[in-house]
Amino acid sequence: MRGLLGFIKKEYMEIFRTGKLLFMVILFSLFGIMSPAIAKLTPWLMNIMSESLKETGIIITEVKVDAITSWTQFYKNIPIVFLVFFFLFSNILTMEYQKGTLISILTKGLERWKIILAKLILLCSLWTGLYWLCYGITYVYNAYFWDNGIISSVFFPAFCIYLFGIYLLSLLLLFSVIFSSNTMVIIGVFGSCFGIYLLMLLNRMIESLSFLEKYLPIYLFYASNLISNITEKKEYIYAIFATLVMIIFHSILTIFFFNKKVVN
Amino acid sequence: MENIKEILPFLIPLIIAEFVLLFVTITHILTHQHYKHGNRILWLFIAILGMQFIGPILYFLFGKEDA
Amino acid sequence: MDRKGVAIMHKEEKKMENILTLSHISKTFGNHQVLSDLNFSVPEHTIFGFIGQNGAGKTTTMKMILGLLKPDEGEIFVCKEKVEYGQNRTNKYIGYLPDVPEFYGFMTSKEYLTLCGQITGMAKEQYKERILELLELVGLTDNKKQIQGFSRGMKQRLGIAQALLNRPKLLICDEPTSALDPLGRKEILDILSSIKKETTVIFSTHILSDVERICDKIACLHDGKIALQNTMQEMHFLYKDTEIEIEFDQLEDMELFQKSYPNGIQTGRLQLHYKKYTKEDMKAMLLFLGKNNITIQKIERLEPTLEELFMEVVKK
Repeated sequence: MRGLLGFIKKEYMEIFRTGKLLFMVILFSLFGIMSPAIAKLTPWLMNIMSESLKETGIIITEVKVDAITSWTQFYKNIPIVFLVFFFLFSNILTMEYQKGTLISILTKGLERWKIILAKLILLCSLWTGLYWLCYGITYVYNAYFWDNGIISSVFFPAFCIYLFGIYLLSLLLLFSVIFSSNTMVIIGVFGSCFGIYLLMLLNRMIESLSFLEKYLPIYLFYASNLISNITEKKEYIYAIFATLVMIIFHSILTIFFFNKKVVN
Repeated sequence: MENIKEILPFLIPLIIAEFVLLFVTITHILTHQHYKHGNRILWLFIAILGMQFIGPILYFLFGKEDA
Repeated sequence: MDRKGVAIMHKEEKKMENILTLSHISKTFGNHQVLSDLNFSVPEHTIFGFIGQNGAGKTTTMKMILGLLKPDEGEIFVCKEKVEYGQNRTNKYIGYLPDVPEFYGFMTSKEYLTLCGQITGMAKEQYKERILELLELVGLTDNKKQIQGFSRGMKQRLGIAQALLNRPKLLICDEPTSALDPLGRKEILDILSSIKKETTVIFSTHILSDVERICDKIACLHDGKIALQNTMQEMHFLYKDTEIEIEFDQLEDMELFQKSYPNGIQTGRLQLHYKKYTKEDMKAMLLFLGKNNITIQKIERLEPTLEELFMEVVKK
């Protein structure tokens, strides 16, 4: 137990001392502020644009800005910050293989599953903290300028996207034990995302398979539609459970593969 | 321009955050000798000219060496 | 009192036991057979030199002992416990110093050792005290820098401290001196010979003078097998053919001597060199010199260096 705690402490010390933590906190705060800021500036930008557009004959009627606009912007921004987060931590294990830092740790007798668990705890806790920080900032601004109340569920879609993030992070770890190079890990995660996406398209095309779509983790990504009340909450329940199962499955698989992996 | 008052709640924290980010990035560049790619001058240029936060993001992803 | 006595006796009995045994180990990478039917064992409290050319399989053998690689065939026992690949149970007896030890650059040496202490499951007071002791031993006590600013030699010394932290019964060092300058090498060798009382050291190298300096026992790995295994004394005894060099005062003396011992090679103006002559031959030579009233500058018996022995083995 002390070994696990020691290793987790090392992980936090690393992101703290290398400046990664500070960088991510600022970045997520920035994007949290930006969503409502862009929404707020939209009418002003439109005004400027409409002047020039008038000449071409397009007339823009006055745009109505509310909390929905801001939240929509939030869901456009989240993939960008997730990508930065993902790239910054994509070498969380491959770096250790490359440098050979795990050898001393393993030969000192730390069980292999504890290494995976520590990395998982770091990634999940960091994603949780940063994501809800970004969400919180946007939420407060929206409440200040407009009314979050016009949206039937603010928290639920945010949670779905958050969970999808955790799912991708569990994939990151899985590919980090299957492959040893950083590039392969990135290709692996993107490849499997693309795979799931294709699967979803296939489900839509073939009617007998269409019930499957709701179980795909990528379905969670479309939970942002809830903001504009296009879909209903209960549609996502299956995907949430399926994703949770997948996350646990990935983690077990990760530990299984890591136990077999040649680390030297 | 009554708008400016309205966007002040964004403007101030945005500017503060961007400056902190820029400051952190520049100190990091100046206190390190080696980078994954590129050199010091290049990264200083990118960080300062790289439009608000894009430069720092690029630095942390592609310039910062892993300890 | 009695129990203590028994314990001491027990300890003494144990002295001759093997701490490490490899039996019938084979390992193939692709088509290349690195090790074939490798057998050897290491008794307690020895410094065991493990020599071989680059690529002979020294590192592979060590990684198998540590459970980092899986042998294709055969078994390894550390302190009578079987080594299981991928699991680290036997590693509690072992300290390992990799050829180029790598640490987390953002930590200080004390923080790193604390992490190691926590991992090995030592009690807090225990590792705190031990860390101070070890930092003293390797001369890093006053160093508060982060490891990323360390020189190669400092990293190597921290590597030793790290390896010795849990008072291992077996210390495995993979080419600990290869990358260092002469001063750094001396420091490492001094540390290794000073810990001989506490632990058994296996030490791989291709620098033979290091082996001659500190090892009690050596094994030479060649073609995936132990080509030669002996204690250092046995080694010299076994290869008792020595070489003799005589430097004369006068040319006539030398010519006279050469008539009786014609195999000599002239290596200097007044110097003769004899290969493959035993101690007995030397006695006869001295008698001859005395009988003929020849004075000499010097006579020297040259023992074969490890290098020559090594070359001989490799040629076979």
